[in-house]
Amino acid sequence: QGNITWRMVTTWPKNFPGLGVGAQRLGDRITAASGGRLTVQVYSAGELVPPLQSLDAVIDGTAEMSHGAAYYWQNKSPALSFFTGVPYGMTTPELTAWMRYLGGQELWDEVYDQFGVQGFLSGNTGTQAGGWFKNELKSVEDLKGVRFRTPGLGGRVWEKLGATVTNMAAGEIFQALQSGTLDAAEFVGPYNDLALGFHQVAKNYYMPSFVESGLATELVVDKAKYQALPEDLQAIVKDVCQAEYDQVAADFYANDPRALRTLVNEHGVTVRAFPEDIMEAGAKASQEVIEELRNSDDPMVKKVTESFIEGLSLVRERTEMVDLPYQVSRQKYLKY
Amino acid sequence: MRVLAIGFRIICGLNALIGHIFSWLSLGIVLVCFTVVVQRYFFATSYVWMQDLYIWLNGAMFTAVAGFALMRNDHVRVDIFYRPAKMRTKAVVDLIGAVFFLLPFCAVVYAYSIPFVTRAWSYSEGSANVGGMPGLYILKSFIIVFIALLALQGLAMILKSIIVIAGHSDLLPVSQRYRESANLSDSEGDA
Amino acid sequence: MMDPVLIGELLAGLMFFGIIGFLLLGFPVAFTLAGVSLMFAAVGMAFGVFDPSNFGALPNRYIGFMTSEVLVAVPLFIFMGVMLERSNIAEQLLLTMAKLFGNLRGGLGMSVIIVGSMLAASTGVVGATVVTMGLISLPAMLRAGYDPKLATGVICASGTLGQIIPPSTVLIFMGDMLSGINSQVQMAKGNFAPTAVSVGDLFAGALLPGFLLVGLYLAYTIFKAITDPESCPATPVPPEEKKYLLREVAVSLLPPMLLILSVLGSILGGIATPTEAASVGAVGAMILAALRWRLSFTILRETTVATATITSMVFVILLGASVFSIVFRLMGGDNLVHEFLSNLPGGPLMAVAVVMAIMFVLGFILDTFEIIFIVIPITAPVLLMMDVDPVWLGVIVGVNLQTSFLTPPFGFALFYLRGVAPDTLPTSAIYKGILPFVVLQVLAIAILFAFPGIVTWLPRLIAG
Ligand code: NA
Ligand code: NA
Repeated sequence: QGNITWRMVTTWPKNFPGLGVGAQRLGDRITAASGGRLTVQVYSAGELVPPLQSLDAVIDGTAEMSHGAAYYWQNKSPALSFFTGVPYGMTTPELTAWMRYLGGQELWDEVYDQFGVQGFLSGNTGTQAGGWFKNELKSVEDLKGVRFRTPGLGGRVWEKLGATVTNMAAGEIFQALQSGTLDAAEFVGPYNDLALGFHQVAKNYYMPSFVESGLATELVVDKAKYQALPEDLQAIVKDVCQAEYDQVAADFYANDPRALRTLVNEHGVTVRAFPEDIMEAGAKASQEVIEELRNSDDPMVKKVTESFIEGLSLVRERTEMVDLPYQVSRQKYLKY
Repeated sequence: MRVLAIGFRIICGLNALIGHIFSWLSLGIVLVCFTVVVQRYFFATSYVWMQDLYIWLNGAMFTAVAGFALMRNDHVRVDIFYRPAKMRTKAVVDLIGAVFFLLPFCAVVYAYSIPFVTRAWSYSEGSANVGGMPGLYILKSFIIVFIALLALQGLAMILKSIIVIAGHSDLLPVSQRYRESANLSDSEGDA
Repeated sequence: MMDPVLIGELLAGLMFFGIIGFLLLGFPVAFTLAGVSLMFAAVGMAFGVFDPSNFGALPNRYIGFMTSEVLVAVPLFIFMGVMLERSNIAEQLLLTMAKLFGNLRGGLGMSVIIVGSMLAASTGVVGATVVTMGLISLPAMLRAGYDPKLATGVICASGTLGQIIPPSTVLIFMGDMLSGINSQVQMAKGNFAPTAVSVGDLFAGALLPGFLLVGLYLAYTIFKAITDPESCPATPVPPEEKKYLLREVAVSLLPPMLLILSVLGSILGGIATPTEAASVGAVGAMILAALRWRLSFTILRETTVATATITSMVFVILLGASVFSIVFRLMGGDNLVHEFLSNLPGGPLMAVAVVMAIMFVLGFILDTFEIIFIVIPITAPVLLMMDVDPVWLGVIVGVNLQTSFLTPPFGFALFYLRGVAPDTLPTSAIYKGILPFVVLQVLAIAILFAFPGIVTWLPRLIAG
């Protein structure tokens, strides 16, 4: 059998720190691991199709693979948000646990079946930054009318907190912040934000995000073509995705704090935590948003929401009993 | 010939009607966008669906009006040779162009858009923005509307060419006849 | 058997020239572009170098244009310009300006240049501006005893300023394309903190070069007034009209000027995005029309129909050009262009100069939009990779294409003017009249090459 070439469209710019680099590396690793029998040709955002048309491109057969984030397609099924991450949702290891051991992947497969595609997690940014604000926030009152760029379900949460939420492509955020069209914006975290130069126009950097607590990226493949692959190639695609999931997460864990040091030491950025009442109101609003999904007419959305809530209830027991107290103690007592 | 001329008039009438109706969307774009600006700057509120709406109106407008624009000869031509050409030559060019360029273009876009649009209908796709407009599938359908109206106008172009080549220009409405180039501005659009 | 990569590149190259050949037939450009590309795609399929499933990208790209936040500024600016024109505000502006400068030798010519640059600023739709000014000011200038060569030259040249003086629809499309290409290229070069390029940057970058052109045109008119007074006599305002002049200035001149300046100012000052400012400008134009009792149903209908058809015409070229760029890129045309441009002796400046020369020649037969939709996507990535400044590139391209509107025998502006000029005016006068202005254009391009700061200074200043 001859060699196969697959086209991978992505929602990221070429070489975009963490994510675009990860997509390219994922493609290269599949090519290398298969000895070229499955060669992946990577197209960055807009090269073949506009970034937010990547999933459609796979469904249409214009590409065999798409690298992006499942919540970009929430207009195709609201259930998809859960496989990227929802407001006040799971952290990276929690999401991994739900997906691999608590039924997440099976539900995701069920959702994607109706589009003839299959998804694999392919990376995770970890808990993101809360956003860049021109003015300091003292309480939830300060959010009234603040023009804030944040996409997806997170945007709904911020709306409930009183912010005026707008959607804007990454390339336009800087100018909008500078011109005053925006008062605040969130993008990813220090590693990516440094690249976009937000520190030049807003100095208050709020951490952490409570709406993007661990954003997972996905690799979507054309299911029929995937299943027609020899078994070893199928395994290579699946395993390289799993390896890349960890690789990307490690990339962010190592380079977010490096970038943050640069932002603080060289660009005079002030890192702040959201006031307690914002964190609390954010949790309440997030719960409302998730409740809306739980009460959806779509049985699939309902089912995924139930599974997510059940999964989170379980894994947070471990997080809160083990990880959290340990981290609190380490912060208090360990000095170096 | 008379039947061809009737067919030509029906298609032109349809595109003129649709063109005039959908042209009003341009006023819609202005008013909705202006409302968004006023709300954002003076009332510090905004609705994601409104931000989608005026953008989508443009998408619906320029696709729906394309056939009408072709009828009005608004689509730019390279007219170094076309402009001074004889009526019959113009008719031959339009016949060739419609058959070998316009209709194949319509066919290819149609073939690749049908699954794309049907799928959007199947899950009632809405805006990619949370809180945005419902009915993205309707906007996507405008790709089909665009192709259908354009192909119809292409067909009308073929009918017109045949009528002219057969020497029956008098069967065409005056505004739709080819002119020989005394007036240099005749085949220019507004741009 | 030939190497498939070679076959693909060969086909892509042939396609480029094939399209130019077929365009000469005179069938609408948008569909010729698409149709000829499809033919070459079919040949590519036969040789196994093109996969038709790539056309699945078409509906995806189309819905991308149909939901573009940046590009919706195009119908808004066109609406504003058409409304100013149809409601006679533009005409009043021109007449008042002419009276204001009438006492000077060459004054009528200068007022045409200034109004041209303002109308230009409001619409960026070349045909409409040339036609309006041709209809109103050409008879006036000829009556006043102007040399027909000077009169037509001034009208054509100032009518095309809309290409380059912001806000301009050409710059909106160029900004949209260049911002995407720039972020791709910067990331590919490993520059993770690139300065973003926006439509606003392009507007800011084009402002001083626009003034430069206006200055050159004015200087030439003054030069003519001094050396050849016969060519542009003064047109003094009769004393009985003089007392109304101030009122006329306040009513006809100031309001549209303020509208245009505030739209432009709010974009450059960073108060509003181009799209937001454009909607305010469009509403403002309607209010001005209403204040003059000119906002009738008929005018509104004419404005909406003109806006919709012009917008559709431009976007449909974009849709047709998408077919071309998909076929060209996926058959390996990208590599071809890359190899050609990066192996030129003389580095980036030479590469830019060659691209400019190609665009200039294309300008003999094609309109600005077609040229940028075809040429920018395939050449800009290579040029930006060679460290060419994206804003400078966009503005240079704008001035270059503006020039191609003016070059005889095929300049579009010349055709538009010919269409509305009296039959007694010989076409040769139009051709001869434009020559000094073409020289000025070339001079301006040379100045921008020598002093790129004229373009880049203002955007950098605004960016802080
Ligand atoms: Na984020
Ligand atoms: Na302009």
